[in-house]
Amino acid sequence: MISRRERVMTYTLLAIVAIGVLFPLVWVLFDALSPSSTGAIDLGSLQWSNFVAAWREAGFGQYLKSSLIITGSVVVLGTVVAILSGYAFGVLSVIGEKLLFPLVLIGLMLPMEAFIVPLYYDFLSYHLVGTYQGIILAHLGMGISFGAFWMRTAFRAVPGSLGEAARIDGAGSWTQLWRVYLPVARPAVLTLVLLSCLWTWNDYFLALVLVSDPAHQPITLGLGAFSGRYLVQINLLSAAAILVSLPIIVLSFVFQRQFVRGILSGSIKG
Amino acid sequence: MNPTLIRNPARRNAGQSPAAVRGRKRRRRSGVGSGRRPWLGLLYLAPGIILYAIVVIVPVGQGVWLSFFNWNGVTTATWAGLSNYTGFLSDPALRAAVEHTLYFIIFFSLLPITLGLLSAVLTSSKSVRGAGIFRAVIFMPQVITPAVIAVVWQRIYEPGGPVNDMLRVLGLGGLARGWLGDFTWALPALGLAGTWAAFGLCMVMFVSSMQSIPQELFEAVRVDGAGPVREFFTVTLPNLRGPMSVVLALTMIGAIRLFDLVWLTTKGGPGISTITPTVVLYERAFANPEVGSAAAIGVVMTLVSLLVVLVIVKVAEGRAE
Repeated sequence: MISRRERVMTYTLLAIVAIGVLFPLVWVLFDALSPSSTGAIDLGSLQWSNFVAAWREAGFGQYLKSSLIITGSVVVLGTVVAILSGYAFGVLSVIGEKLLFPLVLIGLMLPMEAFIVPLYYDFLSYHLVGTYQGIILAHLGMGISFGAFWMRTAFRAVPGSLGEAARIDGAGSWTQLWRVYLPVARPAVLTLVLLSCLWTWNDYFLALVLVSDPAHQPITLGLGAFSGRYLVQINLLSAAAILVSLPIIVLSFVFQRQFVRGILSGSIKG
Repeated sequence: MNPTLIRNPARRNAGQSPAAVRGRKRRRRSGVGSGRRPWLGLLYLAPGIILYAIVVIVPVGQGVWLSFFNWNGVTTATWAGLSNYTGFLSDPALRAAVEHTLYFIIFFSLLPITLGLLSAVLTSSKSVRGAGIFRAVIFMPQVITPAVIAVVWQRIYEPGGPVNDMLRVLGLGGLARGWLGDFTWALPALGLAGTWAAFGLCMVMFVSSMQSIPQELFEAVRVDGAGPVREFFTVTLPNLRGPMSVVLALTMIGAIRLFDLVWLTTKGGPGISTITPTVVLYERAFANPEVGSAAAIGVVMTLVSLLVVLVIVKVAEGRAE
């Protein structure tokens, strides 16, 4: 049914699109391996030591430590809070739910610009600006809406009879959550963890506003500072850029399917 | 934005004990059932709702309040009434920012949707082998950190970068320039970088709904002698209204809120030729504080974003009936 001409057209167009997407990435990858600071591409002599040099010159050790502390704390604490909130809304129900649930949902549609300015001045008065606690707190608060909504949906899909059976066996609400509901909802938790990693690691704006002290800045800001200072050393800058994006790329390869599904459902978060 | 997800949690009644089914029925009728312990629920919700209040709800209220004042961030604020709002369109930086946003909607929303549709259709064609690989490649920019995307495109557009190299090879060396430093070209150059970064997501969203279009529909138009183009307009496109509204809302909000890419490449320059509302907000709030004005920008951006979502949802629902 499908003509030969149509097939040739399809492959040609696809090849053009794919090359268009890949070209900038491949170019920067070769830049990163270039022996010359102008980034002149020389496939004859790939200089892998650029990655080490970039790491050292950009002071990435400190930035990476900050990124790991921030992302790790946000993912662990945020997931626990999301599980508790989702359990409250999805299984237990909450006093004032008719008011509280829509209030939480609105957060899905609020852009950060709605609260970033007062948030900064609030944090200034609590002495949280420039600290790990401050940026972690901000990420956690912003993640509540999606986390609660996501885990509520997951817990509601768990057959109520399971919880009922556990209750008859004498399990309290706490035991039911961790022993009955959570194991069933594990795939949803994995997706939430991946999304939380992605959002926190990739964040630039929130950290730019709340963390001016380089000792506590995440690696995205480190890259920004590096590109400001070292635009002349293109090979090192490109190597640094690749180092920053590597952890998420690796995660996305390992958890390919969950990642795509997560990004699809998670993108409703504004 | 995705009401079906909220309204229809999977209901599985089959295989449940009669007691549970009864409990469910009771719950549905009265809203209070066997698993429901509302006071306990509040206890579980407490940490989340407190964090949310501190970071989001209270500051949103403060933002509205601040927008009625003149404040430099240090000395005492003075009442400004509505002046932070009324000056909006006469302010040259903001006016430019709003114009750029309209322009960016083309590059961050309309173009990615078009390219996303094209790639979705192409990779769904049954004659294509390796569709999965093509999709993985096209999706790749989605997993790259925005700060890195800025570095990548800065390199591509540099005076000695590949775009200019190519122009020189083609004998068009006269056109070569530092694209991001050019008053006319910086804006579309950033726009194209945005298109590149966004269309993979559009594609994946379209692909996932195209798979649920009944195959017979395609066969029917093909039997009628339709080519791929007519097939697209009569079968594929009309069946993509749902994802279309989601993608439209997402990408438009992305265009309205654009910051990282601009801040890390041009900082809104040269001059104010690539400035965006969030860049203005950032500068007014933190660099050179006119906090009231920054807060007003935040309030207006919030209202515009909510309005965009509402209109798109309403239009999509109206069409579906």
